[in-house]
Amino acid sequence: MAMQPHSKKRVCYYYDSDIGNYYYGQGHPMKPHRIRMTHNLLLNYGLYRKMEIYRPHKATADEMTKFHSDDYIRFLRSIRPDNMSEYNKQMQRFNVGEDCPVFDGLYEFCQLSAGGSVAAAVKLNKQASEICINWGGGLHHAKKSEASGFCYVNDIVLGILELLKYHQRVLYIDIDVHHGDGVEEAFYTTDRVMTVSFHKYGEYFPGTGDLRDIGAGKGKYYAVNIPLRDGMDDESYESIFVPIISKVMETFQPSAVVLQCGADSLTGDRLGCFNLTVRGHGRCVELVKRFGLPFLLVGGGGYTIRNVSRCWTYETSVALGVEIANELPYNDYFEYFGPDFKLHISPSNMSNQNTPEYLEKIKNRLFENLRMLPHAPGVQVQAIPEDAVNDESEDEDKVDKDERLPQSEKDKRITGDGELSDSEDEGEGGRRDNRSYRNNPQPRKRPRLDKDPAQPKDDIKNEDSKDEVKNLSGVEEPKKELPPNP
Amino acid sequence: MAANMYRVGDCVYFETSSTSPYQIRRIEELNKTTSGNVEAKVMCFYRRRDLPNPLIQLADKHQMAQSEDSPVAMKLKKICLKTPVGEEQAAQAVLDPALAAMEEESTELPGTDGLAPKQRHQAKHRELFLSRHVETLPATHIRGKCTVTLLNETESLLSYLNKDDAFFYCLVFDPSQKTLLADKGEIRVGSRYQTEVTNLLKEGEEDPRNSEQLETLVWTPSHGLSDRQIDQFLVVSRSVGTFARALDCSSSVKQPSLHMSAAAASRDITLFHAMDTLHKSGYSIEAALSSLVPASGPVLCRDEMEEWSASEANLFEEALNKYGKDFTDIRQDFLPWKTLKNLVEYYYMWKTTDRYVQQKRVKAVEAESKLKQVYIPNYNKPNPALIASSGTVGGGAAGAGAAAGAAKAAAVLNGGTNGTAACNNQQICASCQVSNSNHWYTWGPQHLQYRLCGSCWQYWKKYGGLKTAGVFGESEVEASKGPREGEEGALSVSHRPHRCTVLNCAKEFKLRAHLARHVATAHGCGEGGARPVMKTRAAFYLRASPFTRLARRLTRALRRPRHYARSPFSPINLAQVKHECSIAMAGLGGAELRAAGAGGGGVARARGPVGAVAARLASARGSPVAGGRAHEWLQLTPKDRLPVPAHVAFPKPPKAPDGSLMYERVLSRAELEARRAEAAPAPSLKRRAYDDINGLDNMSAGCGAGVALGAAAGAAEAGLAPPPAKRPNKHPAPMQRPSREQFAAMCAKAQATGQPLPPHVFAHVNGKPTNISGRGGRRHVISWMDAPDDLYFRATENAKAARRTLSCGELRRGARAPWRAMRGGISGAHGGVGAGGMGGASAKGGVGGAGGAPLQLVILD
Repeated sequence: MAMQPHSKKRVCYYYDSDIGNYYYGQGHPMKPHRIRMTHNLLLNYGLYRKMEIYRPHKATADEMTKFHSDDYIRFLRSIRPDNMSEYNKQMQRFNVGEDCPVFDGLYEFCQLSAGGSVAAAVKLNKQASEICINWGGGLHHAKKSEASGFCYVNDIVLGILELLKYHQRVLYIDIDVHHGDGVEEAFYTTDRVMTVSFHKYGEYFPGTGDLRDIGAGKGKYYAVNIPLRDGMDDESYESIFVPIISKVMETFQPSAVVLQCGADSLTGDRLGCFNLTVRGHGRCVELVKRFGLPFLLVGGGGYTIRNVSRCWTYETSVALGVEIANELPYNDYFEYFGPDFKLHISPSNMSNQNTPEYLEKIKNRLFENLRMLPHAPGVQVQAIPEDAVNDESEDEDKVDKDERLPQSEKDKRITGDGELSDSEDEGEGGRRDNRSYRNNPQPRKRPRLDKDPAQPKDDIKNEDSKDEVKNLSGVEEPKKELPPNP
Repeated sequence: MAANMYRVGDCVYFETSSTSPYQIRRIEELNKTTSGNVEAKVMCFYRRRDLPNPLIQLADKHQMAQSEDSPVAMKLKKICLKTPVGEEQAAQAVLDPALAAMEEESTELPGTDGLAPKQRHQAKHRELFLSRHVETLPATHIRGKCTVTLLNETESLLSYLNKDDAFFYCLVFDPSQKTLLADKGEIRVGSRYQTEVTNLLKEGEEDPRNSEQLETLVWTPSHGLSDRQIDQFLVVSRSVGTFARALDCSSSVKQPSLHMSAAAASRDITLFHAMDTLHKSGYSIEAALSSLVPASGPVLCRDEMEEWSASEANLFEEALNKYGKDFTDIRQDFLPWKTLKNLVEYYYMWKTTDRYVQQKRVKAVEAESKLKQVYIPNYNKPNPALIASSGTVGGGAAGAGAAAGAAKAAAVLNGGTNGTAACNNQQICASCQVSNSNHWYTWGPQHLQYRLCGSCWQYWKKYGGLKTAGVFGESEVEASKGPREGEEGALSVSHRPHRCTVLNCAKEFKLRAHLARHVATAHGCGEGGARPVMKTRAAFYLRASPFTRLARRLTRALRRPRHYARSPFSPINLAQVKHECSIAMAGLGGAELRAAGAGGGGVARARGPVGAVAARLASARGSPVAGGRAHEWLQLTPKDRLPVPAHVAFPKPPKAPDGSLMYERVLSRAELEARRAEAAPAPSLKRRAYDDINGLDNMSAGCGAGVALGAAAGAAEAGLAPPPAKRPNKHPAPMQRPSREQFAAMCAKAQATGQPLPPHVFAHVNGKPTNISGRGGRRHVISWMDAPDDLYFRATENAKAARRTLSCGELRRGARAPWRAMRGGISGAHGGVGAGGMGGASAKGGVGGAGGAPLQLVILD
């Protein structure tokens, strides 16, 4: 690690060179080739040499059945285009055929995608890396015994299950334009995984993700859905993403984050209807990265493949904390990026149907729900002593929200220098060196709580520690979300 | 400008009728028609007024339930709201009894608490129902933009009322089924859907997962090399690649210039390989360099782009044109030596080439008819409902003069105070009751003569209602809505899309003609009366009407039916037929006509079975059959006592092991030709082949073979080689097909040894090369398009003369075995007949060989 500038994260990247050659079929919008295009861009941008590159194993049926049902996986393993006719009934049962076609190498494709996410999760568990990337993963629609929306095996659920071995609470964030229904359903009744999905809602696949869907049983309030309308642009997206994620981090206090980076929320997507640019999309990665938690980035949707590879290349650079030029480097697929051959794309002039009032109302409703969460849920007190923080937070709840905070509360919110940093070397000894999520006696790191939505944009370049400190100084003020006056 | 630009995805008002409110549609597609007009494919939103009443009630209940978070609401959420039109009873049945109590409460929309009654009334106008119904409308009927959004529970309806042209929807209406559905998926709960959550590892417990087994390191950034060193190494590996291409023969053909070699060596595959090499040699540049140049020569990395030859590339493009991107089919039929992965990889690289760009340009031109946006100027033509301006002025004047003070009284005073009786009664707006407006529009049913002011008219057009509820007139209008709705219903029935009935298609079309066209173009078959698009040989039959039959009998011109049957190409004088007919028929009465027509060609008389006829005949002859017992000669001979013919003309073919009969295959023309050509140099061999099969050896070698050989030689000379087979046969047919005896022997052997017959035996013997070649088991069915051409022979005088010289038996034999040359002695002419009978391709040769046999071969087309 001596070779790297000190604020950089150790990034592991999972890729199999076969992945680009799987083909869903004529006219099918899902194109695994986009993952290869991303990979070639990474090489030619020189990002390749800055990460650990791994070829993932092929996930075994045993690994997949940690979530999926046995007969579903058995079916996936045995079905091929040439024996499809023998499986008519099962195809119907498992929803394979229409959106989720049977193609050559289907099972291998699932194995590679799941293998990458599982290996990445194990890597994070072993603390051998801070950020893992698997653009081949992110297939968030797959259900326990059912394929859906181009997804067969839910690599995300498998990855999260792996993370749960070491992490009491895992946060899943989904910025695909479609609702992350597969992941939400898998963890709908547990309080150990919170799923937060930002998606287009209303007459749109898969039809789930209503504001009122909040989880069930023990998992009530642990599913957070942000239903959005056509035309979300960078600014509105950030205006809802930042407060929601900050609030979630504050109340849920996860120790690991999985971010599904479906690129169909970009402008001009073949299936999507948002108006985000690569920068706005990447901003989400950057914001989540700032929390400094073990971080798994997976792919997902994205059907205008030139923009998908642009986006994921940029997001890899964000994860690495490296700035890359807007000029695209020459590569095998350079011609795809014409006519401008630039990394960044401009939004279209489509109208944004998400008015600030609408977003505000959604946000307030979600905040109400999040307030129902017991702080630090599902904690075994004896195992995780740092949950002492809880008591303080409960105090905070008792305080009348309409009143100005008493000084005692304000003091609690003041964070020490470096406490919110996402740089591993700050503080003495490098905090990663002896960090354990189970028995670390030091108090839980409070994540960065409050970014003022009014003036949100720190530049992406601010990756070196000086800027980091500057940003932090803003955090030490009392919470801005609370009304300043009675 | 921007306001008049309409894009795909916009919600817009459409004016389909000048007097009814606008329709609200979402543009799905904009297509330019050949005439230059723009058609919009749109998705329909329905207003409350468009829905049948029981559905509206249901919708309100659903809304109300949703707005509260009650158990009733929960129950309702799962209900699919469904009701057949007009059947309130059924609608009630769907609902939970628990809801019945709530029925008493208001049927207003939710979230209306705190709204003034007027607002509540107007909010109803903003509610729409989404449907999946798609129709096509001319873009010129667009009258402005609006927004339709899914109502979110956090929003108040006021936010819609305060915005112009803003609508919301909650439910999806299916116009064909008359149902309402909540547009909402469901997260299911239960062990079948949720995962078992892994437990946190206990203190000191180790995870058995081992990263080494899950992944292989391909590159690490902690290597001690500087960026510059890596870059240098990449340049070196590219130059090694260039040199390797110079050494490689096949490369030097493909890349004749150094530049091209260098470009090929700079592709990403070389770079990836270089990075791998560095990693494998432990990030030592030296070690990596030496592994780039092993003893076997410099390393050469080629991707699919470079690997493919020019001819393969051409094949691929051809295949792509033919099959589209169905790589499985392309591989199977064009490039079987490539793997599917090769094809996919190549395809994505091929897309970067100029060839693709050219193709794309062509496609872009084609796609020009699909527009992204369209400019529709503001519509300024006056609405026919507009009351002519003179009237308006007059009315306005009258309003200003007389009605200013007595506007309300005017409604009572139904008489002319100042002589302008016509416009007196309805001086005020039926909705807002103002009496001053620049424009007035007639509104409502004709006899009521309501009028609306300009702004209310706009409101009516946009929102489909009046601003205020319960104003006079509204109830009547609502009442009059009944018949109109029926009319609309009828309209929507006629608008019900025509659905394609072909399996797995089910596309819908607005017009039957469109459907017919679709069926014709997409599925290649005519639907109903539609003309088949693909040309086929005209098949026809002649339906003889009674009149035709009558004409046949009456007309002298048609007295030679046999003659006409033999020469169908010689014309018949129709005028003459008609003339004779009319003369003959004039002299006949109806009954006679009928009798003449019924002649023999009418309905067959029911005579009963032979036995009955015989009995009848016998009784007629005065020898009654005792006890109904038939005569001995009328009883059927038992099967075993049937006389056995000495010679079986059509013996049953041998049975295959599975018990089915195996018929001899009739040779196709091409095969026959091939056989003849092959047999030509060794006539004795050829003869034996035929004679063995047929068990006959009475052919005079001289003439018959001469004819046959002549045919073959003629074909050979003319270079008439049969075209190559479309699908090369996996089991080429053996030169000689087995004789019947040989075949029987084979079968016996196969049965004895328990082995299946060699495929070509089947293929040959029963003429169906089906299912034998195994893989895929796809039957090779001859399509009707490939059916052999129709033939007929036109017999010239000479041919007829030659025929006459043949005995009856010879003719029959010739007809049964058309491929065999006729007996010698009759020389050329009948040889020609035989050759002709063989069918087609050899006819020319046959003519040559037979010394100018006067046969003409006509191929019907």
